[in-house]
Amino acid sequence: MKRIKFKRWKNSFKTFLFAITMFVMCGYSFAQKTITGNVSDDSGPLPGATIVVKGTSNGTQADFDGNFVLNNVNEDDTLVFSYIGYASQEILVSGQSQMNVVLLEDTARLDEVVVVGYGTAKKSDLTGSVASVSAKDFEKQPLNDVSQALLGRAAGLQVTQNSGTPGGDFKIRIRGANSISGGNEPLFVVDGQFLDISAVNVNDIQSIEVLKDASATAIYGNRGANGVVLITTKRGRPGKATINVDVFTSISKPTTRLDLLNGIEFAEAAIEQEGVSIEDSTLFTQEQLDELRANGGEDWQDRLFRTGFANNVQVSASGGSEDIDYYISSNFYEETSTIQAQKFRRLNVRTNLNAKLSKRLKVGMNLNIGREERDGIIGNLSDALAFSPTTFAFNEEGELNLFSENDLGTTALNPLVPVNFNLRESTTDRYNITANLNYDIVKNLVANISAGVVRSDIHNNSYSSLRAGGIGRANVDNIYRTNLFNTNRLTYTVDLGERSNLKIDAVHELVINQFNRADIDASNFFTDLVTFRDLSAAQVQIAQNNESRRELESFLGRANLSLLDRYLFTASIRADGTSIFQNDRVGYFPSASFAWKINQEEFLKDSKSINNLKLRLSYGQVGNQSINVFGTRERARLDEDINYPFEGNLAVGVAPSNRLANPDLTWETTEQINAGLDLGLWNSAVTFSFDYYKKNTTDLLLDTQLPDFVGPTRQFVNAGEILNEGIDINLGTRILRNDDWNINSTLTISRNRNEVLALNDGLEFIEIGQNVSGFSGTPLNATRIEVGRPISSLRGFIFDGVWQLGEEDEAAAFGRIPGDARFRDISGPDGVPDGVITTDDITVVGDANPDFTWGWNWDISYKNLNLNFLLTGSQGNDIYNLQNARLLGVFTRQTNPTLGAFRNRWSTTNPSNVPARVDGAQTLSSQFIEDGSFVSMKNIVFSYNFNQKVTDALGINNARLYASAQNLFIITDYSGFDPETTASVNNEDVDLGLDINSVPLNRTITLGLNVSF
Amino acid sequence: MKSIHKGITAVLLLFLAISCSDLEEDTRSLLTLDELSSEGDIVASVAPIYRNMLDIHRQPHVLRTATFGGDDLTTSPRRNKVAFRVFDGFDYGSGENSDIIALPEAWDTYWQTIYFCNTLIDGLKTATATEEEIALGDAEARAFRAYCYLHLVKTWGNVPLIVDGVTPTGDEQRATVVENYEFIENDLLIAEQNLPDAGSESEGRISVSFAKAVFSDLYLTWAGWPVQDETKYEAAAQKSRDIIDAGFHELVPIEELWTLEGAVSRESIFSLRFPADASILSAFPTAFSGVESRGFNDAFPELQFFFDFPEGPRKDFTFLEDIPNRRVRGGVIVDRDPPTIPFEDTENQKPYYRKFTLAEDLTINSRPRGLRPIEMYRYAEILLIYAEAQARIGQTASSIEAFNQVKRRAAGLPYLVPDPTVDVTSATPNEVVDEKGWELAGEYKRWFDLVRTQRVAEVTARRLSDEVIPLTRQPSEAQFIAPIPFSAINLSQLEQNPQGFRIR
Repeated sequence: MKRIKFKRWKNSFKTFLFAITMFVMCGYSFAQKTITGNVSDDSGPLPGATIVVKGTSNGTQADFDGNFVLNNVNEDDTLVFSYIGYASQEILVSGQSQMNVVLLEDTARLDEVVVVGYGTAKKSDLTGSVASVSAKDFEKQPLNDVSQALLGRAAGLQVTQNSGTPGGDFKIRIRGANSISGGNEPLFVVDGQFLDISAVNVNDIQSIEVLKDASATAIYGNRGANGVVLITTKRGRPGKATINVDVFTSISKPTTRLDLLNGIEFAEAAIEQEGVSIEDSTLFTQEQLDELRANGGEDWQDRLFRTGFANNVQVSASGGSEDIDYYISSNFYEETSTIQAQKFRRLNVRTNLNAKLSKRLKVGMNLNIGREERDGIIGNLSDALAFSPTTFAFNEEGELNLFSENDLGTTALNPLVPVNFNLRESTTDRYNITANLNYDIVKNLVANISAGVVRSDIHNNSYSSLRAGGIGRANVDNIYRTNLFNTNRLTYTVDLGERSNLKIDAVHELVINQFNRADIDASNFFTDLVTFRDLSAAQVQIAQNNESRRELESFLGRANLSLLDRYLFTASIRADGTSIFQNDRVGYFPSASFAWKINQEEFLKDSKSINNLKLRLSYGQVGNQSINVFGTRERARLDEDINYPFEGNLAVGVAPSNRLANPDLTWETTEQINAGLDLGLWNSAVTFSFDYYKKNTTDLLLDTQLPDFVGPTRQFVNAGEILNEGIDINLGTRILRNDDWNINSTLTISRNRNEVLALNDGLEFIEIGQNVSGFSGTPLNATRIEVGRPISSLRGFIFDGVWQLGEEDEAAAFGRIPGDARFRDISGPDGVPDGVITTDDITVVGDANPDFTWGWNWDISYKNLNLNFLLTGSQGNDIYNLQNARLLGVFTRQTNPTLGAFRNRWSTTNPSNVPARVDGAQTLSSQFIEDGSFVSMKNIVFSYNFNQKVTDALGINNARLYASAQNLFIITDYSGFDPETTASVNNEDVDLGLDINSVPLNRTITLGLNVSF
Repeated sequence: MKSIHKGITAVLLLFLAISCSDLEEDTRSLLTLDELSSEGDIVASVAPIYRNMLDIHRQPHVLRTATFGGDDLTTSPRRNKVAFRVFDGFDYGSGENSDIIALPEAWDTYWQTIYFCNTLIDGLKTATATEEEIALGDAEARAFRAYCYLHLVKTWGNVPLIVDGVTPTGDEQRATVVENYEFIENDLLIAEQNLPDAGSESEGRISVSFAKAVFSDLYLTWAGWPVQDETKYEAAAQKSRDIIDAGFHELVPIEELWTLEGAVSRESIFSLRFPADASILSAFPTAFSGVESRGFNDAFPELQFFFDFPEGPRKDFTFLEDIPNRRVRGGVIVDRDPPTIPFEDTENQKPYYRKFTLAEDLTINSRPRGLRPIEMYRYAEILLIYAEAQARIGQTASSIEAFNQVKRRAAGLPYLVPDPTVDVTSATPNEVVDEKGWELAGEYKRWFDLVRTQRVAEVTARRLSDEVIPLTRQPSEAQFIAPIPFSAINLSQLEQNPQGFRIR
């Protein structure tokens, strides 16, 4: 049925194409005079700058050397000089025939053409909510990841770094989380290609547009619900070739350490837990204790932390002629981890090439090839923190101790053992190729065809050595992903006169994602020599593989109408058909938006103070289809965990599906309204942008969980509703701009309120967060999704301090004694307190969603000096400090406390509220809820531009020397490593604010030099 | 120029034409269980059932969590043994500690096995394999489903009945204990019809002896707490007698019983096996070893139980009093000096269960592991079930002979040869139960016997005062069943114990 509709549409599409080819528009103008001149900026000519007679279509472009000739100009005409990224200048001709113009960079960039998805638009003509981040905003700071470029620079966009490990992982969210099980990662589009963000070299980026509201994202249909990040890479500028070399080198150290017990403190606490006196303890001899007292114990943080180094070299060449432009770059980045001991390397080569074959035909190709290597194992920091300081890393023979003596602290392996004995090598190779063709079929009708391949090959190899106390295990995991896309677009523009025009886009798109994986486990090696390089040395080899494919075919229509250059209307509809669903495959996603450029109205047109005032309204529906292949189907299980050795060797087993089929499953829909206001004052000295939005996500792709005992426990259903409501504020100020000084600041503030409005079948809650038992040992879930609350609410018992002396009787009623944790009895089987602490007493103890987050970027130049820094912050979010809880010995994964806070444990002489008896029977409670608000000096860079005298003498254009610091300081009350790294477990939004296995960020000092010639 | 124009228009149309998808999901790599057409299909379907049983039973500490109240088990006062301490010290009974670690694992695994069995039973209804193959697959699935249900009921009381051919909703409610028993009985009636005689089963799989063993276990339980339908003793005697009369099973000499080599013997009614390539390991030696021996420090006998245990070869092969003193060096387990320590001088001051460490292998892991098959039922237990059931309804010569056979083997004597030094002429039911406690010490039996015979309080009263795990309370009936794991209560309509406990 849906299929037929598609065909019909395709037919009418062809008719449309035919009709448009019949449509011809003509225009004539008369003139008297010729103007010649030159357009440049402070660093040289601006080839391609446009010179237009105001109010007409008479115009030309500056040539290779910035020179231009413009005919047919009247004496009373005004010429408009413009260039992307520069403030336009309007100059009255009045007698001049030679005009040399120097354009200044425009910080507000209202005339800039921005990418909006399937085409471009003038920034001032946008009707949707789009945040732009230009390379100019971040290029002063030494970055190695695209996420860093986005951090703190776009309102409504939340970027959090989850760890300080090399090639660190980031979580990016646009306007909160819409989905529970469907994923909340935005869609990344790089030069029209659908890519993983890590595939892009940040130094190659020209600009980033963040599409936030539904009118902007609806053109991406069932993949647009989480917002879209459009990345445009650099291209050559016609003119002399420019070679740019940027080299920087960094040293890093973890920002913080935890306060842990030293050897003797740990030993005394361990003995105390035994309930015996020091003399009677079998744990330590008196000599050992004396030794610990005199010389301390092992400092496991010292053992694991180290100074990390990084080097980055970026070389690019760009330039072009009138017909061909090119940008070629190469980047090499290497980094060593600040936790023993991994080495990360990345090599990236890009070629962007555009050629104008004829007046009507342009072609282009972007080629990006990259390789990432990770070598070595990062030691398990949580195990190091948990390890007994009374066991030294090395024994008296200089060999690594494998385990803690007597299993004190933890039963885990010495974290240095895998680091030293085991191997891990991972490589990722990526090839991205896009070719595009742009053809003016007739005047005003342009066809654009692009097609591309994204291929990534991932090889993860690891080996766990015999020397690490095992039997020798190797894993070889090969993953191959191939993404193909083809986008065909027709754009028809018509000038309606009176500064009005209409633009219509029709797009057809096909996206195919293929996935193949082959995974081999081998064990029982007789030697450590060959490791994963020759699995034949292992007695047991188990191979598994799988493959999948998903397809998406789409049609998109979009119309932009601009009336009197004042009233802007955009409407679009996208039809998406996806292979991922069975019965309901095709979805339609409409949007409409309106913007009113109030400053173009007569009453404001000549205002000296208000140069931009725009009101925007939009509405749209966007979808989310991101479930796994076969997510709607039952799939019999085949894996090594269900094989059984009837006759000695494992016989293959087949187990029934853990998932119930749902052939009626379909996409989830997010409906969003947005109202925004853009204001520019005093020639954009102050720019202010405010957006209010409200998103309702319905038919959630909910991976419901049935209780384990019923059999199949999972099923994807469409159910429930989630609300996200918030505001984005962007305030840019040009505080000072004169010959010597240039001071700008940009403040972004984002506030999002998230609420679960409904779940399936009237359920009040579901629990699908990661069970934290692997980390802690408690089968309790730390988070829950509850109607009337944000997606992730933190749950536990209410901690009422410690039972004190004098409260023995009360404590005894709960089977406790003074020194034990005191939990509040708030309920029972009948909903009233029952005098027993049971799971009925678990309640919501915290909310990990911040009230607001912000970023504040300052750029201060004085003559040749520049200071650029970025402050970021988060307010009002709770963190569940489970790392502390574990280190206090609260959970069974920790056998004795190691945290410094345990010094203040309760005793008869120290009536504190730190429980003294920690035997693992304690559990998740409000004791570990902390305020996670923070202010962080994310990045500060100080740079010096060499004088022209120097650069001329050296024969170069520009030279800039810079020094920077990342994560210089953080202001927070949080007692764990870093409030930022707790943003989520595995990037899941159902588990916000859990500090589990968190790793501190690094404080990095960088020194760099940028030279162009 | 015109030709270029045409060419490009052609390219454009070509792209539109070829760039089309039928959007059908490619399901060629998707395996479904729609049709079981051969013996191979059925074997592949029963394999996960056996594997699930292996995976939970090879972790004795985890499996036994809710049975630490028995006098054959106690644990370390230290560190991460909290779940075992909760049950050893009876810190439960009103819904508390349902969120303790380890408790859900047996629950989850037994239920998942039931799901596997349900799916197979349902799939066999439309299978195209031969009638015999279908009947055998069905019988195996029912026998294991019965076993799982029986142990769920023994541990947690009445449970919901999730059966074949019904799509679950999550709204399932607990049935009554009697309904559970009747369901198990029905499965076993079918299973015992179609399972092969002992000795004629395919290697590694169950014979009719397993179904009958579960059957006798069911009836013995049914006759005791909580249903206390004493008419079931006769049925228990009948089912155990069937196994004895079949004449296939034997007792093996006590010194061979717990060795790796002696494992696959006629004493096994059914045992779970490990693969020859050692890709799956037993945690028995680990769980039952202390920290000195690189063990988990999980489970030891209570001292009173150890002292009460009658002297003789069986005691020598059940307990280890000289504790191995070891460390790990260069990735392998090596002895320290001295290589052994008397148990009184160890951290836990308890002997080990030698029966579970005798077959340990120190070369495959940094902790002691093993590959000895795991006994689900041994012939000795069948003899004792028969002896007890008859002792309750009227002792016979054959029932006292069954009892004596176990005692003779325990004394290191040929078990079939009467020997006046160990033989008795009569035994009270409690004497048989105690003998069973010794014979099957640590084997996941004693606690259930104490509950069924309501002797938990009596035995706990004898507990030595220097046992280090504190008793939160003296046990009563509220402690006979464990709290249902919170993970199951939380997501379902099940009512927690004791509120949800229904006998009839």
